[in-house]
This record gives sequence, C-alpha cells and structure tokens, in this order.
Amino acid sequence: MTKGPRIDTRNDAIDTDAGIAANPPRRALPLHRELDEVWRDLPGWRGFFTSVNHGTIGKRFMATAFVFFAIGGVLAMMIRAQLATRDGAFLDTELYNQIFTMHGSIMMFLFAIPLLEGLALWLLPKILGARDMAYPRLSALGYFCYLFGGIVIVLSLLFGVAPNGGWFMYVPLTSKTYTPGINADVWLLGVTFVEISAMAAAIEITVTILRCRAAHMPLTRMPLMGWYLLGTAVMMLVGFPPLILGSILLEVERAFDWPFFDVARGGSPLLWQHLFWLFGHPEVYIIFLPAAGALSTIIPILSRTTILGYGALVAAVIGLVFLSFGLWVHHMFTVGIPHMALSFFSAASALVAVPTAVQIFAWIGTMWEGRVQFRLPMLYIIGFFATFVMGGLTGVMLAMVPFNWQAHDTHFVVAHLHYVLVGGFVFPMLAAIAYWMPLICGRWRVRGLGEAAFWLIFIGFHGTFFIMHLTGLLGMRRRIAVYPENAEFEWLNLVSSGFGMIQAAGFALFAFDVIMQWMFGRRSWRNPWQAPTLEWAMPLPAPSYNFASLPGPRQPDAGALLPLARGEGLLAGAPRGWRETLVVEPGSGRPQHIAVLATNTALPVATAGAIGSFFAMMLAGLYWLAPLGIVATLVVVWRWGAIMGTDRDHPLVEVAPGLSLPLHWQVRQTLGLTGTMVLLVADATLYGSLLFGVGFLTVVAPGWPAPESGIGTWWMLLPALAALALMAAGVVAARLAETRRTRAGGRLWTRLGLACSALALALLGVLGWGLDDPTRHARDALRGAVLGFAVVHGVIAVMLALRADVDARQGRIGADRRGAVPAWQLLQTFWLGTSAASVAVVAAQEVLA
Amino acid sequence: MTWLARALAGPMLWGALFSAVYALHGAGCNLGWTQVSLGPVDLHRGAMWAVWAAGLAVHVLLVVTMPAGQGRARRIIVAGSLIGLVASAFTLFPVIATSTCF
Repeated sequence: MTKGPRIDTRNDAIDTDAGIAANPPRRALPLHRELDEVWRDLPGWRGFFTSVNHGTIGKRFMATAFVFFAIGGVLAMMIRAQLATRDGAFLDTELYNQIFTMHGSIMMFLFAIPLLEGLALWLLPKILGARDMAYPRLSALGYFCYLFGGIVIVLSLLFGVAPNGGWFMYVPLTSKTYTPGINADVWLLGVTFVEISAMAAAIEITVTILRCRAAHMPLTRMPLMGWYLLGTAVMMLVGFPPLILGSILLEVERAFDWPFFDVARGGSPLLWQHLFWLFGHPEVYIIFLPAAGALSTIIPILSRTTILGYGALVAAVIGLVFLSFGLWVHHMFTVGIPHMALSFFSAASALVAVPTAVQIFAWIGTMWEGRVQFRLPMLYIIGFFATFVMGGLTGVMLAMVPFNWQAHDTHFVVAHLHYVLVGGFVFPMLAAIAYWMPLICGRWRVRGLGEAAFWLIFIGFHGTFFIMHLTGLLGMRRRIAVYPENAEFEWLNLVSSGFGMIQAAGFALFAFDVIMQWMFGRRSWRNPWQAPTLEWAMPLPAPSYNFASLPGPRQPDAGALLPLARGEGLLAGAPRGWRETLVVEPGSGRPQHIAVLATNTALPVATAGAIGSFFAMMLAGLYWLAPLGIVATLVVVWRWGAIMGTDRDHPLVEVAPGLSLPLHWQVRQTLGLTGTMVLLVADATLYGSLLFGVGFLTVVAPGWPAPESGIGTWWMLLPALAALALMAAGVVAARLAETRRTRAGGRLWTRLGLACSALALALLGVLGWGLDDPTRHARDALRGAVLGFAVVHGVIAVMLALRADVDARQGRIGADRRGAVPAWQLLQTFWLGTSAASVAVVAAQEVLA
Repeated sequence: MTWLARALAGPMLWGALFSAVYALHGAGCNLGWTQVSLGPVDLHRGAMWAVWAAGLAVHVLLVVTMPAGQGRARRIIVAGSLIGLVASAFTLFPVIATSTCF
C-alpha cells in the first residue's frame, strides 16, 4: 500500500465490499494493449480533428489556455509600458482601449475559464474512478468552439477591430451609435461562441460527477475536488445564461435595431449591467472554486495528513455557490440604486466572506496539524495565502457602500481584482500544474527552475499590484491612457511597471520549466507525492483509458494500483471493443448500468464549424445568409443522434463476479437523460433572465405605450391558445409514445406528437406576424425576444419528435429501448411550460398597461 | 439525490426569498406602495416584512425537519439548513429600517 496520507474515512461509514467480488487477476500488459487499442487517438493530424478522449481534450484546453494567457500577458505589459510615465506615447488612445479590453476579455474568457475546464476534463474521470467524461463528443465540440472563437477574437486585434469598450462592454458605449464598427460585435459573437464550450463543460462536469463515479463512492465520500468542481459547474450552468442572453440582446439591438438598452425607446443600459454582473460576479467564484479544490487536494498531501473539516468545506462550497449569486449589484453601487437594495447586496457581499474564511482556516488547520513539505506546489500555495487573503479583505472594504463610492472605478479596484484572481486562481493553478505534471507527462521537473519562477512571479506580482492600491486611493481612474495633470501618480506607476516586467519574466520561466519537464525531465516514479487519491492508481503518464479495471469498494485509493492494472476491479478490459464506463446512482454510487461512450469522430469539429459559420455570417453583417449556418448546424447535430441507439437488445454485462449490469441503450435513466435535465436548468435560467428583463424594464421605464396588437386581441389570442393546446397534446403524445411503445401501432404517438409540435411551431409564426414592430419600443422588442425563445425551443422539440419517430421506424424503440423519447418528453414539457408563462406575462402586461 | 435536495433546501429557499424581496422592493417602489398606509407602516414595508418573516419561519421549519441520516451526511444537511437561515436573516435584515425607494 502507498505510504503517506490516506483517504479520511473516519466520519463516514464505507461499505467496504458492498457484495462486489474481485475479478480474477490477469496479466497487465495484454490488458493494457486491449484497452489502448480501443481508447487511443488516431495518429497524426487525423487525431487532432477526431479525438474525443478526455485526456487529450483536457490537455489541449490547458495548453491553449496558456497560449492565450501569454497573449494576454503581453497585452498587460503593453498597458504597463504605456502607464509607466504620465504622458506615455507608446500607444494611442484607440489602441490602448482595444488592448485593455482584450487583456481583460482574454484573461477571463480565453484563459481562466478554459483552463479550469481543461483541468476538470482531464482530471475528473481520474479522481472519480471513471474511464472518460460522460459526453466525450461534447468535450471535443467545446474545445473547437473555444479554439475557433478565441482565434477570431485575437485576430481582431491584428486587424485593428478588436473590442474597445472594456471587458464588461457597457452600453451605451458599445451601442451602434458610439461603436459603429464591428469591435463590439467581435466581443458579443466571439465570446458567445466561446461560451458554448463553457456550457458544454458545465453540463458534462455535473453529469460526470453525479453519475460516473467509482462503484459505491457516495457523494459524502467523494474527493473534495469533486465537490468543488460540482459547485463550479452548477454555477456555470446558472451564471453564464444571463451573459449569453445579454450578448444576444445587445447583438440583436446592434444588428436589427431592437432597442433593449436604448433609453429613448424604453430600454435601459442598466439592464445590460444587471445581466452582465449576474454572470460577472459569480464568475469570480467560478474561477476560484476549482482552484480551491486543487488546494484542498494538495495541502493535506504535502502536509502528510488528512484534510481538516471535510463536512465544513462541503458546506462552505454550498454557501459560496448560492451566496455568490446575491452580490452582483455591488458592481453597480454608484448607478443610483435605492438604499435598501444597496443594503441587501452589501450584506450579502460581506456575508460571502464567511464561507471563504472557513476554507482558509480549514487549510491552515490542516497544515498546522501535519508536517508541511515546502516543495514547489506548496510554495505557490503559500503565495496563494499571502495574496488571496489580502484580496479578500479589500473585497470586504469594497462591499461597504461608502468606501465603494470613493474607490469605484479607480486603480484600487484593479488592484483588488488582480489580488483575488491571481491570488485565488493563478497561484493555485500553478500549484496544480506543478503537482499533476508527472501524471500529465510522466516526467519529473528540472530542479531549481520552478522555484526561481515562483519567486519572480510572487515578488513581481506584489510589486505591481500592492502599489496599485495606493495609486487608486490617490484617485487614479481605471482605463485612462495618460495622466498629464497628476505627477503624483507617476512614480507609483513606474514602480508598478518595473515589477510587472519581473512578473512577466517569472511566467516565462514557469512556461520554460514546464516545457523542459515535458521534453527533458527524467522519468517520474509512480505516485511521486505518495497521495491517496485515485488519479495516482494508474501508470505514468496516465494511459488513454485511465484504469484497466474500474475502482470499486475493494480498490478505494491509490494503493490499488496493481490490482486495478491486473483487472481485479470492475469492468476489466474492453472485450466488446467498445469504450465502456460505469454509471452509478447519483447519491449512493450504487452501480446502475454500463455506458458505451463515443469513439474517435470528426463530428465535433464539423459541428463547431457549422456553428462558427453562423457566427461568421453575423459578424460579417451577412444577416440574410446567417440562417444557412443554423441549417448547417441542425443537419450536423442530426448526425449526432443518428449514430446513437441500437436496434437490438444486448445481454447483461458481467462487471464483476456476481454483478451484471445492462448497457445504457436498455435503461431509462441514461447519461443522456440526466444531461438533458441539466441542460434545462441552464435553459430555465436563461428564460428566467429574460423574464427579469421584462420585469426590470417594466419597473424602470414606466409609461410604456399600449400595444397596438397583442394577446388581448382575439385574432392573436386564438392562435396563442391553439399553440399551447397543441404543445400540450405533444406532451401527452410523447408520454404515450413511451408507455405504449410495445403495443401494435405504438409509432402512431410519435407521428402524432411530431404533427402537434410542427403545427404549434407554425402557429408561433402566425403570432410573430401579428406582433408590433419590435424596433418601435423596448416593450415590443422584449415581446419579440420572448416569442423568439418559444420558436427556438419549438424547433428543438420538432427535431426531437422527428428523431423519436425515426427511432421508432428504425427499431430503436422496443421493450427496453426508448430511443430519443424521454429527452423529447422533457423538451416538449419545457417548451409548453415556458410558452404558457410567456403568454401569461404578455397578457398581464396588456391588462396592466 | 434526496440527500442532496435536503442539503440544498435551505440555500435554495434563501435564493427564492432574496429574489422575492428584491422584486417586491422594485415593484412596490414602481407601484407607489409607500404612499399606501397599512397601520403603523406603509404597504411597501409591510409587504416586505411579511414575506421576510414568512420565509424565516419556513427556514426554521427546514432546520428542524431536513436533517436525516447520520455522521457526515447529517452534518452537511444541518449546515446547509443553517446557511440558508443565516443568509436570509442577514442579507434581508435591511427591510427592518432602511429607507425604501430613495
């Protein structure tokens, strides 16, 4: 068994065998060859475009994120060069605007989020005891959306049309009037394209943690990293939709003149601020939580003890996840919000420090209780403590309204956010990279380089940003390129810039160290940190399939390396030639069925290309061609469904002596269905954000004109009610299509449901025809947006109904097989519910007008 | 999943209560409820008090009824319930006395 810390089992009873016997041992090498044949990527360039393996995709995400980090870092150095003197002539104002906007946007959207996604995709199956993420093709789709979108955003800088309105893109500055070029469109379309990868990652991280853990690993015994990533993923599911909605609304305003944010026509710029910060503040915690997960993993191992307060840390994660959604208005304290509302958000902003402090004390307590080893990851952890705690304290200062009013939009805020983000994300992630590099590349690092990089980064960072607090308190505003009247700012800025260069040298040395390790490091021995967690129960570097046999109650930790390699765990090898992993019940971890995962395919890159074509048409202003991109996307997405399912029943699979499970085609609670539910959580958040917009503008922009046409007129009410009735009939048909699938004529219900959905969609078109001109007023624009939401979901419901009908025709529906019917039921019900709510809201607006 | 629902019930109620009181605050200001007298207070403040108090009562109910199981599983549920209660009490206490619409 491995020496060193063990998984803490004192507080939770473990079912040590759960009735699962060990498989007979086999020779490890043939088992490895059998699995690698099935799981490995295609060689060469074909592998780049077709790999769906979580190990490959995760590493690509992380490598690409660091490339963007380097680009963002170069931009930061240009900012510091410009600000080093009060009359800096290094950049002109327009270019300076583009550079600081791009620096923030790249660091947030192209570095931080993708890096955490990459780490999660690469690490999660390994620590949970699975062979891959729940949706390998979705991982690859997310990567290509990120790559293509990121390239477009960065290229815009080279062509001089980069976004220039600040990373939060406030209107009216970014409206068509004040930003007539495509600068803002690059941000709105590019970031939305990239965020497809965030939503994809959020869905699959959630489902993987809930359903793809080792057999009989209950949630309450899951590695803490799992809890942190679950919290992160849920926050992404709820946090990103408001930003996506805001971006869509602003792009529609810019492209088609629908006045959501135009004061003259009943809109409000504050609606953008609300939607942006509904995402923007949780974003800070989205970035922090995975880093905190890495800390909770690494600190006990490098302190040679177990983590202190597992339950308290889980509770702190729960508290952070929720409370972080009650803070967003503290970014808007100066916009003229009534005192009571300010107080709500000020109190929430102060309260969120409590769960953060609980974690800090748990980590300090763990180190106090153990024997700290000051190896490279621990140096970065010390850097985290020194930096993040200071950032947290200035955060509490900024949560206080009177101080916030004084420091708002000054360099004090810039210093605070860098202390929080670099302290709370970059230092822990550098620790994580240093810690997991042997598992990534199988090699040990070159002595000395990493330590030198750490000290350069640490000294450079604090020299740059600590002084920035003072610059801010002296009154230096953010986003200014020159300050000719303020000689008192100059020496502080000069010092900041000097240390900034030292920091940049540190990051360059870090990158050099990683490359040296990857290429020239000596072979690492197994489990070099003597860690107990499951990711070290495999050879180095991690093989394509992770585990030759999956961990169960008899193989709970890294000590089971040899038994797992010999196939003594569950589901040994790949005897059917499929990529298989175990699916468990979410709470207890009881094994339920075997998922057969997708193999190498070019569908994800093709889908990303199709989606990208839509965004490209929009960016080019070819709005009449943009629907072709949507059609192309629907065609490719249809292919995803076409290669799923089976037209015959398969026998049960013996995963261990005495334990046989069905394949996922023959169960109802599949990973696909869980994923659809999770997707609908995000979808419902987007819809809720849209309703928030309706309510907000109704409140802040009174005196709206009465509608000339609307639900209140009989010829609009009638098709609205008929559409709702048809949607409801579709729900009934979808249910009957499942319950009566084995009876003669069972296909009647899929056909009937398809007809009902298609007719309902057509009636929505009639409603659209009757709406008032959406360019007339924000009220009309919002009604158009609400109808657009219903139409989009109608198209998806029709697609799913058609998929179910084709499944029925092709024999993919039978006694145990349900095809796409359960997913169709969910979508159809969601479509009905949101459409009914929309009709009620629009009718209420008309009654109250 | 039942365990997870129990652990999250308190924070979820906080989310609903926080949203409801914030929405009520905006709607009341817009609809002029501060001008409508309701005994010793105006309708706006009275409505927010009522919703807050009712929410706190439900929170107490959750603290009492949600815990189940034993060991770590139970302790996390208890912590979740208390997080919800404390968050609702602390973040919404400004309804007691702060000026409402200015």
